[in-house]
Amino acid sequence: MKEFELHEPVSIEDASRLLAKFGGRGRILAGGTDLLLELKRGQLNLAAVISLKEIKGLNKIRFTRKEGLRIGAMVTWSQLLESKPVSRNYPLLAKAAEKMGSMQIRNVATLAGNLAHASPAANGPIPLLVYEATCVIQGPNGRRVIPVEKIFGGVQKNTLRRSEILTEILVPLPPAGTRGTYYKFGLRQAMDLAVVGVGTLVKTKNGVFDEVRIALGAVAPKPFRVKKAERLLKGKKIEDRLIRDAGETAVIESAPITDIRASMEYRIELIKELIYRAINESLP
Amino acid sequence: MPIQSYFQERWGQAMKRKIRLTVNNETYDLEVENRRTLLEVIREDLHLLGTKQMCNMGECGSCTVLMDGQAVNSCITLAVEAHGKKIETIEGVARDGKLDPIQEAFVAKGAVQCGYCSPGMIMTAKDLLAKNPQPTEKEVKTAIAGNLCRCTGYVRIVDAILTAADTMKE
Repeated sequence: MKEFELHEPVSIEDASRLLAKFGGRGRILAGGTDLLLELKRGQLNLAAVISLKEIKGLNKIRFTRKEGLRIGAMVTWSQLLESKPVSRNYPLLAKAAEKMGSMQIRNVATLAGNLAHASPAANGPIPLLVYEATCVIQGPNGRRVIPVEKIFGGVQKNTLRRSEILTEILVPLPPAGTRGTYYKFGLRQAMDLAVVGVGTLVKTKNGVFDEVRIALGAVAPKPFRVKKAERLLKGKKIEDRLIRDAGETAVIESAPITDIRASMEYRIELIKELIYRAINESLP
Repeated sequence: MPIQSYFQERWGQAMKRKIRLTVNNETYDLEVENRRTLLEVIREDLHLLGTKQMCNMGECGSCTVLMDGQAVNSCITLAVEAHGKKIETIEGVARDGKLDPIQEAFVAKGAVQCGYCSPGMIMTAKDLLAKNPQPTEKEVKTAIAGNLCRCTGYVRIVDAILTAADTMKE
């Protein structure tokens, strides 16, 4: 690695000022599991690493029934796994945490870092998309709150502006009566990126789809909600043929590629089948 | 002039700092460059060679140490991040020459062949058993998912960890 300065600001404002001072040559350090790899590969020419670890309160998970979950930027995947409010109320997020890397990675890697790194195959956004989570971003112009999908700008590009920091993720309680599924389809049982990631949240009423939320990952430059497939199901009678159609529709909204893990053709088949299975599993 | 040498000339000191590492209950006062990893410092500065460097990218787990009780890949941890934290390496596991129950079980169950993965496996097992004293076989496998072994096929390693859990129950 090339040399760099290390700064440990005690406030978000100071961290933001440091990012501004170093221009594009300063980067935030949270868990470091992605940053250290980039540094080792010589991909970055950094003047400074700006650690968040001395900023109070960022490593907290807060939960109230009214506001839902507030996940600070330094909260690790292990903390999410150990959190009762998460396992009780946000099972899809707990499942995504289980499937993340290894124990060693989960002990230091953060959910916020997972979002900010913006890998198209990331675990984090899938449950957050179906739970309709938002991200709190702080910077020199104050604070803004955006839906979680808006933080993704493209392959490994986030939409944070210069000197902005993702400080918190807010996750409202899922509507009562919803059931959901999370699948991370991969070539291995652990330590692997998703080939296709699926999340669903479904509520039915008298044999009819009442609420349908479907998220897909690893099949486009950014993870996304499959709106056409959702619209196809919402308000309609629950029928096998319809659920199959939802899987097919989802393919139209996706842009899967052939890469080292899977071919485009295989991903297309996976989208159809996994959405079909996920919706079925979310039915009462 | 290039930005790196500008900083070096003016603030060469900014590229490194003094840290205090507590490793296996011993304290070490060091001055390290910010860019050095905990693994490098443990092996090269502290001469504790039990922790291994292999993939050097957080995938194989042979560099696993405990940091405040948590298993971490020391190859992707900056040494300066370990300042003020309690580090445990394989050298600190046996007490007064007596093997820890996990180590005993590894020996008894034939879970060590070349031994390269063993320090990492044992540190991971320590984290697991501290958090979950009676894990299921599945939970053990999940816990060691970040530790690769090229020799044993993992069966005896899982067996050893389950045996250690039973021993420690008493």
